[in-house]
Amino acid sequence: MSNLLKKDWFGLGLVIILGSILISFFKPAFISPFNLYVLMLSVSLMLVVAMSQMIIIAIGQMNLSVGAIGGLVAISFTGLMEVYSMSILPAMLIGLLIGLACGFINGYITVKTGISAFIITLATLYIFKGMNLGITEAQPFYEIPDAVKFFGNAKILGPIPYLVIIPIIITILMWILMNRTSLGRYMLAYGNNVQSSELIGISSTKIVIYAHVISGLLAAIGGMLVVCRLQLGTPNIGDSWLLPSFAAPVIGGAILAGGKVDVIATAFGVILVSIISQALVIFKIDPFFVQIFLGFMILLAVFINRYREYREERRTKVFSYD
Amino acid sequence: MNFKIPNFVKTNQFGLLCLVIIFICIFSFSTDGFTSRFNIYALSRVVALDIMIGLAMMVVILTGGLNLSLGALGVSAAMFGGWCMESMGIPISISIILVLAFGSFLGWINGFVTVRTGVHSFIVTLATMSIYFGFMTLLTEAEAFRKLPEIFTDFGSLKLFNKYISPLLIISVLTCFILYYVFKYTDIGRKLIAAGANPDAAELSGISVDRMFIYCHMLSGFLAALAGIMLTARIGAAIPSMAGHLGFDWLLPAFLAPVLGGTLLSGGKVTVFGTMLGAILVTLINNGLYLIDVGEFWVRFFLGMILLGAVLLDRAREYFTVKNSIVS
Repeated sequence: MSNLLKKDWFGLGLVIILGSILISFFKPAFISPFNLYVLMLSVSLMLVVAMSQMIIIAIGQMNLSVGAIGGLVAISFTGLMEVYSMSILPAMLIGLLIGLACGFINGYITVKTGISAFIITLATLYIFKGMNLGITEAQPFYEIPDAVKFFGNAKILGPIPYLVIIPIIITILMWILMNRTSLGRYMLAYGNNVQSSELIGISSTKIVIYAHVISGLLAAIGGMLVVCRLQLGTPNIGDSWLLPSFAAPVIGGAILAGGKVDVIATAFGVILVSIISQALVIFKIDPFFVQIFLGFMILLAVFINRYREYREERRTKVFSYD
Repeated sequence: MNFKIPNFVKTNQFGLLCLVIIFICIFSFSTDGFTSRFNIYALSRVVALDIMIGLAMMVVILTGGLNLSLGALGVSAAMFGGWCMESMGIPISISIILVLAFGSFLGWINGFVTVRTGVHSFIVTLATMSIYFGFMTLLTEAEAFRKLPEIFTDFGSLKLFNKYISPLLIISVLTCFILYYVFKYTDIGRKLIAAGANPDAAELSGISVDRMFIYCHMLSGFLAALAGIMLTARIGAAIPSMAGHLGFDWLLPAFLAPVLGGTLLSGGKVTVFGTMLGAILVTLINNGLYLIDVGEFWVRFFLGMILLGAVLLDRAREYFTVKNSIVS
């Protein structure tokens, strides 16, 4: 039990459950099937984006180009289907390949030059976004095959949309990657201490490139899921991903210096952010407040993490005097 | 074979200066309008702002941090100024002082939270960015202030030196000189650099690093507010979307100028005139790209490529200078 209390996701889970009960007590509309459906849609889209950022946070870097990759893939995916009348599967594969290539470029340049990933991904953010705008000239693609539209809007059972399937699979895979595979553990080791991880024989090149490639792939999947949801490919997909992509992992207790991320807590962070955004809408609060709220949530999470660290430090000090 | 290269040639600024001259030559030969009086005037208006934004980012990079909230902060301050002048009828000079104080206060929040939590300023300013911008949009209801005092807006469209130069550029260049003086010759400036270069050593030699970091963030807020005022004067109105969504349009020039200018991202090194040259280069390239007609949608792409090219070149230069010094 005390082990459970120490987990990052436990407190978050509690907040989510209590919060949901409280909100639905005041506004029963909160647990209406339609609202749950909308909630699940927003959770599933942001889940992929958050995972895409989380894996880069794990190695102690940041990826500003997540949204730009998502947008580029989204318009390539729809453009290939509309302009070149490609069928869904090859278009999807090319979309994934673009995401992979973008991630590879980020990772390769970062690790080979040793320049901070922040600057590299800021540059590639503009490059990918510029390609996106150059190709589309800011015009959306509207011709989407029916199967894609169906996938984006149909429900499996009750309020559960088809769209949740892929994000859930991704979350499980990410959990396995970060907790049960040597690659994931190496990433955390690298994020925690670059030098010692190199000394024990972990290849930085491999770790950084793998992390960025996975991030690119996830951003690509996120972009395509948004296309399914919106039923069109607009060039501004991904523009607003930056803040939520950092919010969820940070609320989930990730340390930005690297070496500590929690997949489940990140997922809970996404759910919490979605519930709060949704609640603000239900209580008819100005949508701009959602943004302010998200900002405060990040600051709050930062303060809580800091406080916990502080307490932890004090506790270990007491033991060392024993 | 044994001639000595002057030290100045090895610096980043020299390379930048060469690049600026080369680009001026290329653009003035390959395009018609580049050297026209109108274009030079337009350039001076844009470059003034880019320099100011670059400086605002530079002073935070000095601490080894970042300020993502720069654009949101600048626009919030500018909107505050618009409110002071238009709705409250406060005289211009007092309004400007209030705006600068307000910008410094927002910067202080950034600095205070960063120092107190010990979290990287990236995440703190990411949060404050959305808070500032959110509050600004909420309070202004996304409405612009368009009826500003005429003296104020006239200043923005004033033309000096045979109608070639905007007075805004003079403000920016003056700010550069002041900052250069502060960082080079004053006690506080040296302390700021020391705190950024090696926080532990600075702390041990009696400098309050936390306070210095907060000062840097306040200075950043001050300069961003100044940039906001200048942009308002240039446009002739205070518009919530004048720096794009969340102020993101300022972010690329903000990073490009100091990084091109040779400011180290790890902190502890500032190059005021490098930042100025970097801003000039960015504006030149931006302007030239429009003139040679690459299509407005590709401009971003090229700017990104240039940032990438610049940091790679800088890396190469570092590599070669290190090799040189080992040999000698």
